[in-house]
Amino acid sequence: MELEINKNLNRNKQKRNWKRWAIHLFPIPALFVYGLFIVYPLLAALSYSFFDWNGMIRGDFVGFANFVDLFTLEPFSGYFWNAFGHNIIYFVVQLVFQNAIAFFLAYLIYKKLKFGEFFKIALFLPRLLSVIVVGFLWKLILNPNFGALNVILGKFGLENLQKAWLGDPDTALMTIILVNCWFGIGFMLLIFLAGFQAIPKELLEAATLDGAKEFKMLKTIMLPLMIPSIMITTVLTFIQSFEAFELVYAMQGSQGEPYHSTDTLAVYFYRLAFGGSTGDSTAIGLGSALAVVLFIFISTFTALLLKFMQKKEVEM
Amino acid sequence: MKSLNKFWLASLFTLFVLVLAACASDDAGSKGGDSTEGESAEKSDGVTLTIGSWRTEDTEKYQTVIDAFNEKYPDINVEFKPSKNTEYNTILNTALKGGEGPDIIHLRPYAPGIELADQGYLAPLDDIEGLDVFPESSLSASKGSDGKQYGVPLNISTTQMFYNKAIFEELGLEEPKIWEAFIELCETLKSEDYTPISLGTKEGWLLSLAHGIVGPAHYGANDFVEKITAGETDFTSEEFLNSIKAMDELKQYFPDNYEGLGMEDIRTLFFTETAAMFPLGSWEIEVLREMNPDLELGFFPMPSAVGKDPTITTWVDGSYGVNANSEHVEEAKKFVEFMTTKEFGNLFTEKFKMISAIPGVETDDELVNSLAKAVETNSTPYMMLVHFAGGNPTTKATLETELQGMYLGEQTPEGVAESLQENASTWFEPFQ
Repeated sequence: MELEINKNLNRNKQKRNWKRWAIHLFPIPALFVYGLFIVYPLLAALSYSFFDWNGMIRGDFVGFANFVDLFTLEPFSGYFWNAFGHNIIYFVVQLVFQNAIAFFLAYLIYKKLKFGEFFKIALFLPRLLSVIVVGFLWKLILNPNFGALNVILGKFGLENLQKAWLGDPDTALMTIILVNCWFGIGFMLLIFLAGFQAIPKELLEAATLDGAKEFKMLKTIMLPLMIPSIMITTVLTFIQSFEAFELVYAMQGSQGEPYHSTDTLAVYFYRLAFGGSTGDSTAIGLGSALAVVLFIFISTFTALLLKFMQKKEVEM
Repeated sequence: MKSLNKFWLASLFTLFVLVLAACASDDAGSKGGDSTEGESAEKSDGVTLTIGSWRTEDTEKYQTVIDAFNEKYPDINVEFKPSKNTEYNTILNTALKGGEGPDIIHLRPYAPGIELADQGYLAPLDDIEGLDVFPESSLSASKGSDGKQYGVPLNISTTQMFYNKAIFEELGLEEPKIWEAFIELCETLKSEDYTPISLGTKEGWLLSLAHGIVGPAHYGANDFVEKITAGETDFTSEEFLNSIKAMDELKQYFPDNYEGLGMEDIRTLFFTETAAMFPLGSWEIEVLREMNPDLELGFFPMPSAVGKDPTITTWVDGSYGVNANSEHVEEAKKFVEFMTTKEFGNLFTEKFKMISAIPGVETDDELVNSLAKAVETNSTPYMMLVHFAGGNPTTKATLETELQGMYLGEQTPEGVAESLQENASTWFEPFQ
């Protein structure tokens, strides 16, 4: 009897060892794909950035010259800082018009607002479209002479508000960012809603019994518990803002038109590395340098942001 | 349980083998091209050549060209494999860099195509027959820096002022012969509530194109081009500055909200007959006719402001070259040789409704014919594309950006000229 049990135990142990060993094998295919499509291109871009390029032909090793050119040589440095500024505007405006509004709406839906379910779905719907489709749709809506927006403004007698939204450097960037917010708000809303719903009911009930008012409850109990959701959305928004490409490309092309007023670093990178839309010349060295700078910037700031947010987090 | 272990061990092993195989075949592919595929095809029914191009819209038309070629060379199969216009350069460059790419390559005109030749990706074509039918100006679109010919010119593109004949007739207007008459014409159209010139400034390339049409009227066409390419004058000269100022003055004749209008918008304004004139290229003829078959389409050469002849702006738009790394260079040369024959020229003009680069080819299309005739007498090169498409960003791209800035009120004509000069002096040898 004891022998039988021992045998069984042994077999179980073997099985467990085998499982422990096997578990380390499962990530291999994923690591392979990750290595091929993420790590290899990153390292390749890094190596490209140290060479002088003549079109598609690799020239001499030039050390950090491409990086220096990127930051100091006109017109490259001008375009760089111009685009960088736009990325920052992208981030700030998205925090305000996308995340803050999404937070507020999520709170209302959590509080059982009428038609909450409808709003949740309606706000999430744009997310189901491809960004490129979103870009082309809004381009049609915003067309100054045939587009729906100006026509509607006209119907309401607001002719003086009609304008070339995407053609005027004063409004083009903001218009694109707001379209991006329209696209992204539903996703952020779902994250916040999940956060609200994860707050333990007992805490809120206890607070109600203690006579806490609505606003005080939101501020002192819910907000600290929402920090993880706020952290996720902020980091996602940060990464997305500094990678902003598709929408600008779909709506304004690779030149960040008009007059580079909608240029972002990723669009500028595309133009540098692959040439403009009409067969302009390529600068692979400079483009790679920009990609490396962008990668270092995004990863450093994401790490700092996470660190900072973690400090604010409370234990439940 | 054991059998399950065996199962996934086996699958893991298979996966590794597959991955290795993929890597191995990748290596073979980059060295030998698609040699295995080519050889098997050769044994059964001759060689197969591929043509790379950005003209996706021409696939059917190319089939007729290929059929005609096959009447002469039945055992050379040819496949036309175009990719999207804006992605063609990226796709082609990446393929060439990996030692692959199509056998026959549609070359972007001037600088970008010549760059490929200079980097050794193209086979020289000096030994093929028929190149002597082309004028030197056409051959220069694909002549390498080493003086060898790397491409067979395909078609001449032109830009000029298109106009709506019906609107002109209704208002009793005539094709202008001098600049003042052109401005008068614009004024009349404006007072009759037509948009005189359908142009938008949202897409930069439209601006350098429009400058290509209007510019020569002010800087004095070919004489100036000769002088500036020899380094005897520059972009800050009065003549050139005048051409930028003229572009600025014309904005009062553009459509409402012109700063937000792109290619499709201005084309729509023209074919819906809201706008009377449309400064664009010969490739639009077919599109316009398709959109509005009733449109009475006419064109006039741009009248001069400095007492010269009116001008049509022309350039070679694409040549065909042969991939130096192709497995079938000889067969590919046969095909581009066919592209120098009058037979090809006739077929091309008839099917594509474009002006063949082979002189003296005619069609039954009256408009294309008269354009081709005008080209023979009144042509001036699209200076920015032909001579100033170098640098990074190119001088042409600089003109596009700066003109856009000017139309948005953020740049002066003087500033445009200075920026151009600054850019060109970084790379254009006569300025150094």
